[in-house]
Amino acid sequence: MDNEVPLPPPRRIRPRGSASARGPSPSTSLASSFRKTHRFSRFDDCSSQPSSDPALFSSDDIPASGLENYNAGPMTGAGRKRRYRGTWWGEKVIDPKRKRADFKEKRNVDSGVWMGSDESGAESLLPSEDGPGWGEDLLKTVLDPKISGKSQGALGSFVKPLTATPAVSAMQLPILKTPDESEEHQFARSVVNDCLEKGEEVIDLGNFNLRSIPTGLLPPLQLLTKQAPLAEDFFSSLQPFLSIYLSGNSLLELHNELFELSLLKVLSVRNNKLQELPYTIQKLRSLEVLNVSVNRLTYLPWELLQLFEHGELKHLTACPNPFPQIEDCAIKTWHCERIQKETEPKSERYDLDSESECEPEQIYESLRFEEYEDVPPPSAWTAIHVATGPITRFDMEGRAIEENPKSSLVTTACRFSSSAAPSLRELALRAMCKHPGLDHTTDEDIAELSPFVIPLVQKAKKVRAAGGQRCSVCQKEYVIPRTEWLEWWDCTPYENGGKRPRTSGEILRPLPFKRFGCSGTCVPASEA
Amino acid sequence: MDSSKDSTFVSLVSCDGFEYILPYETACVSGTIRRMLDPTSNFAESRSGRCVLEEIDGVVLEQVCKYLVYNYRAKNMTNVPDMDVPAELCLELVMAADYLDV
Repeated sequence: MDNEVPLPPPRRIRPRGSASARGPSPSTSLASSFRKTHRFSRFDDCSSQPSSDPALFSSDDIPASGLENYNAGPMTGAGRKRRYRGTWWGEKVIDPKRKRADFKEKRNVDSGVWMGSDESGAESLLPSEDGPGWGEDLLKTVLDPKISGKSQGALGSFVKPLTATPAVSAMQLPILKTPDESEEHQFARSVVNDCLEKGEEVIDLGNFNLRSIPTGLLPPLQLLTKQAPLAEDFFSSLQPFLSIYLSGNSLLELHNELFELSLLKVLSVRNNKLQELPYTIQKLRSLEVLNVSVNRLTYLPWELLQLFEHGELKHLTACPNPFPQIEDCAIKTWHCERIQKETEPKSERYDLDSESECEPEQIYESLRFEEYEDVPPPSAWTAIHVATGPITRFDMEGRAIEENPKSSLVTTACRFSSSAAPSLRELALRAMCKHPGLDHTTDEDIAELSPFVIPLVQKAKKVRAAGGQRCSVCQKEYVIPRTEWLEWWDCTPYENGGKRPRTSGEILRPLPFKRFGCSGTCVPASEA
Repeated sequence: MDSSKDSTFVSLVSCDGFEYILPYETACVSGTIRRMLDPTSNFAESRSGRCVLEEIDGVVLEQVCKYLVYNYRAKNMTNVPDMDVPAELCLELVMAADYLDV
C-alpha cells in the first residue's frame, strides 16, 4: 500500500508509521507476521516497497546537513543525512531507529504475494500436512469478509491450528502405525515423524527403553530434507547432517534398515546391549562419528576398517566394551615389524616381539608406535595392523572344525583349504539369496523343510535381508563363512577423532576386528 | 580296483531312472558317494560301481553332476569361476547337497 501514490502533501517531513493507523488487515498476514517477528529476513523489508531503488536525496532542506553546520559534529545529530524515498511529493524519511517497529506494522498489509522466504509459504510446500487446516482457513478469510473484519480477535484462534499441525500431520505421514505396538515404539515413531516434519537433522531416540527398532521407523529418514535455510546463507545445502542417537536403550541388535541410511553422519548406540556390530555397517559410507561404547561387544566387524579407509569415518568411540586384551589372546602373526619397515627401518624391537610370545606382558609393554622426531609419519594418522589371530575354519554347514594343529593339520588342510571352489550347498544358497521369493517365505514355510536344511535357509534369509555379504578377501558374495579370524588393529588416531596423530612411541591399544572368508583359501595374506 | 581307480567310471542313478556316468575321482568329491564306493566298506555300490540315489530326481542330479565336475576341476585353481545354479532348483539342491555332503 505504500506504493499507492498519495496526493501531494504540504511539504514537510512526515514520520513514517501512518500505515499503523490503517484498519485491520487480513488476518492471514497478521498471523504470519505474528510468527515472523522472531525471524530476520532482509526481504521482508522491501516486500511491499516499489521494485525500483528508493530515490536518495543528499541534503534537501535539512538544516543540520547544511554547510553552515558542518562543524557541529554528530553530537547535534547533524552527522546523519536524511534519506527520502518515493516521489518528491510523497517523500518519507526513513528513520533507521524506528525501522523494526515500522516493519512489523507494514507487514499488516497483505501484498498478495507469497514470498519464498515467507514462513507461511514454506509451510505450504507440504500440502498434505496442513491442507485441510491452514488452507481452508485461508480461503475462509479471503472469501468471508466477516472473518477478515474481526481479524484482531481471530488472531489467537489462528495461531492455534498452526501449532497444532504436528499432531494432525503425524497421522498422515507415510509411516504406518501398527495398532498393537508397544508404547516405546509408538513414541519413537512420533519422534521420528516430528523430526521428518520439521526437517530436523538430529533424531534423538536416547533413553527410550527401546528393545528393538521397529520396522519402517528409519527408512523415511533417508528422504529427510533440511528446512529451507534462512536468507542469511542462501546457498547452503539442503542435504541434512543426519544424526541418530539411540543411546541408553536396551537394543540387542540393530535393524538392517539402519544401515540403509546412506546419508547418516552420526550414529550413537552407546549404552545398549549389543553383542555384535553387523558387517552391514560398511554401507554407511558417509558416517563420520560412531559411538558403540558401553555395549557387550567382544569384537568389531572388520568392515568397519573399510569405513576409515574408504568412508568418512573419523571418530570412533569403541571403549568401554568387553573386548579381549591382545595379551590374553592367541596370536598367529605379528605385523608390527612390517609396518615399521614400511615407515622407518629401525624396527628391531618388533622383531623381538614376535619371538617372545611366551612373555605376554613384555609384548604389551613394548607394543608402541615408532619414535619420530618432528613431523609425524603418515602412518601416525592411520589404523595399524598389529597382529592376526589364528584361523577358525568352518565346514560346509558353518560349524566350526576343531583343528588339532599337531595330528590332523595335514588332513584338514587337504580337505578344507585346498579347494577355492564353493560347496554345492553354498552355491545353492547363493542362488537362493538372489531369489526374490526368499523374502516371502515365512518361518512356517521354512519349518516344514527337512531339519538339516532349516538352519541353512534361515541363514540365507538373514543374509538376503542384510543385503548380501561379501567375502573380505575375494569380494565374492557368500552365505556361509568358511574361515574366521581376528585381526588386531590400532585405531588410536580415529578414536581421537582424527585430530591428532599418534605421539612418538605411543602405546598401541589394538582392537579386535573379526574377519570372515568365504572359502578355505580365503585366509589372511600372511597364511596364503 | 585301487590300481584302476583313475580310469574307472561310476554311474549315478536318480530316483526317476536317469543315469549319469562320471569318473570315479569326480564322483568322490561327494563324501557320501565316496563312502558308498569305498572298496573297504563292502557296499554293493563299491562292487557294481553304480549308485542309486533314491532321494534325488534327474533334474537335480544333473546339476549335482555338473557341480561334481566343476569342483573336481577347480580343485587346484586359485581363482575359481562361479558356477550358475538355477534358482528354481536351489532348495532341492541344498537338500541334495546335504545328503551327498558336498
